Amino acid sequence: MKKMMYMAATAAAALAIAGCGSDDGSDGTTAAAGETSVSDAWARVTTPTQTTGAAYMTIESPGGDTLTAASVPSSVAGEAQLHEATGEEPMDSGGSMDSTAPMGSGEGMMGMREVDHVVIPADGTLTLEPGGYHIMLLDLVKPIEPGATIPVTLELEKAGEIEVDATAEE
Amino acid sequence: MFDRVVRRPRMRSLARVPAVVLPVMILIAASGCGSGGVGDELNGMTRTPPTEVGRVALPDESPGGGGRQTRLRGEEDGLMLVYFGYTFCPDVCPTTLADLGVALGELPEEQARRVKVGMVTVDPERDTPKALNGYLGHFFAPGRFASFRTTDDDELARAESAFGASSKLGKADRHGNYEVAHTAQVFAVDGTGQVLVEWPFGTPSEDIRSDLERLLGDGGIGSA
Repeated sequence: MKKMMYMAATAAAALAIAGCGSDDGSDGTTAAAGETSVSDAWARVTTPTQTTGAAYMTIESPGGDTLTAASVPSSVAGEAQLHEATGEEPMDSGGSMDSTAPMGSGEGMMGMREVDHVVIPADGTLTLEPGGYHIMLLDLVKPIEPGATIPVTLELEKAGEIEVDATAEE
Repeated sequence: MFDRVVRRPRMRSLARVPAVVLPVMILIAASGCGSGGVGDELNGMTRTPPTEVGRVALPDESPGGGGRQTRLRGEEDGLMLVYFGYTFCPDVCPTTLADLGVALGELPEEQARRVKVGMVTVDPERDTPKALNGYLGHFFAPGRFASFRTTDDDELARAESAFGASSKLGKADRHGNYEVAHTAQVFAVDGTGQVLVEWPFGTPSEDIRSDLERLLGDGGIGSA
């Protein structure tokens, strides 16, 4: 593993994007450091007009840990950020509703926000998935094509750096 | 509801459903019985009376739309699946559109050709017609989608309001990027402008497909 790591711990550091090496030496979609393991890493295929993408995976960390940053090579995207999709439920019960009740603008609204860390609980597993936590890729250098491999470096408080290959899927 | 056998494109359907959505979906499943109307048998959400959006029209910037004011409703015997979103959105929007694409791809062609997806951009500044068409063309066949875009904020707000939807531009980050919070469900609108069903974010494509088959099949719309 010859990658130079992008240690984005602060917003100030994040401004200095650059600093991610070539992606040789990546090996497989599961990586481990100590007891921590990552599986099912994938990134969504993007269209030529999209400048953003997202990567997902499952991180297992017996004893718990904290994901503090993620990065990708500068040949892939300008920046990677930890994001959380946020949303309100479109309804609170039942499969139908009475339209006489106020519809309430903003019902079922979803958005997302950058987070500076994600806690992996002591008993377990953190799943980054659509509609939840994800690694947002900004300023994609080129579209993520089906079957492509996106090397992602995770920064964990206890486990340190973990390198993962995310496979591009629809 | 969640243990049915699914084929590959849907393998992740359940895993994709965020934990917060699951209880809602279980409630939907639990409540799905009653007086026997079509709405009672659907996986998605229905309203009584249905939302009426028949008067809503926006410019359709898709190649077939030519920028003309076009109503957000299905053909006489079909449906328009209306979604409010934006192409900069990396997570929720492509997840939803990919699920719609899978659902439509598995419908019999006779039914699929009666369905059009209409995406309304909630970010017209960055979503040029070209960006919108390129984005939707990735998920849907030519002629099977409409690219609704207006640069008139009031016109967009009126269209959203008719659906009970809304959107809100977020603050720009240090790079000038901004996000847009928006209503995340998909609205299925028939030819009269009635919203027959809404699918909240995270609805499995299999559930969408079966709702579409029910609405478009024998005894459904266009068969009277």
